[in-house]
Amino acid sequence: MASEEIEIEIGADGQVKVRTKGIKGEACKEYAAALARIIGRIESSEPTSELYETPNEVRRVIDIRQSH
Amino acid sequence: MSTVMIVAPIVIANWGAISAAVAAGVAAAGFTATAHTAAVAGQARSESRGAGISREEIEVPDSEILEGTVGTGEQVVAERDGIRAIFTRDVRGGLKVCVEGAGITAQELRRVGEELIGRVTQQYVYHRLVSELEARHVSIIHEEVTADQAVKIRVRSW
Repeated sequence: MASEEIEIEIGADGQVKVRTKGIKGEACKEYAAALARIIGRIESSEPTSELYETPNEVRRVIDIRQSH
Repeated sequence: MSTVMIVAPIVIANWGAISAAVAAGVAAAGFTATAHTAAVAGQARSESRGAGISREEIEVPDSEILEGTVGTGEQVVAERDGIRAIFTRDVRGGLKVCVEGAGITAQELRRVGEELIGRVTQQYVYHRLVSELEARHVSIIHEEVTADQAVKIRVRSW
């Protein structure tokens, strides 16, 4: 399983991007929002296809790969 | 694939934390910073009068210096290549920077002021984030400064 990570990029202009990696489903947004709230106000949030994957779907993919 | 959030930082802290971020931020931009008392600052300002000095004032958006944590006229002064930047608490309680220099256009002074505000905000956010992550026992697994001077921090989900 891919590691679940959050990357925070603080630009030289002070702007901040919070990006989640490997976190599926709504938890993805929750982790990013928790970190964003420490820093300031969320201006925009861009969901990607990973957000819509459920943990079950991910496990199924892993199971299939392991069976070969 | 990921979720990406763009966050506008809010700078809210006591003068001690903010002046530390100012000192680190201006140093990152190549300025030399010195903390001044009100009397020394008055002297510094009077020295700059009447010699063709241009001056620009910029408020740091979404900033607040907590009341009771800053003395009258307390400020941080930083200099680079004939440009002087003075960070103080403004009347609304936020942080502001006055940038001045002889023979420098207002446009250039504003550009320098905005560069400094960006660096100061970056330092503030970095230290706030690191201290909050420590308080929540979240480990930083990777940290780097990119070619464009952005700071990247990676943490594991908790």
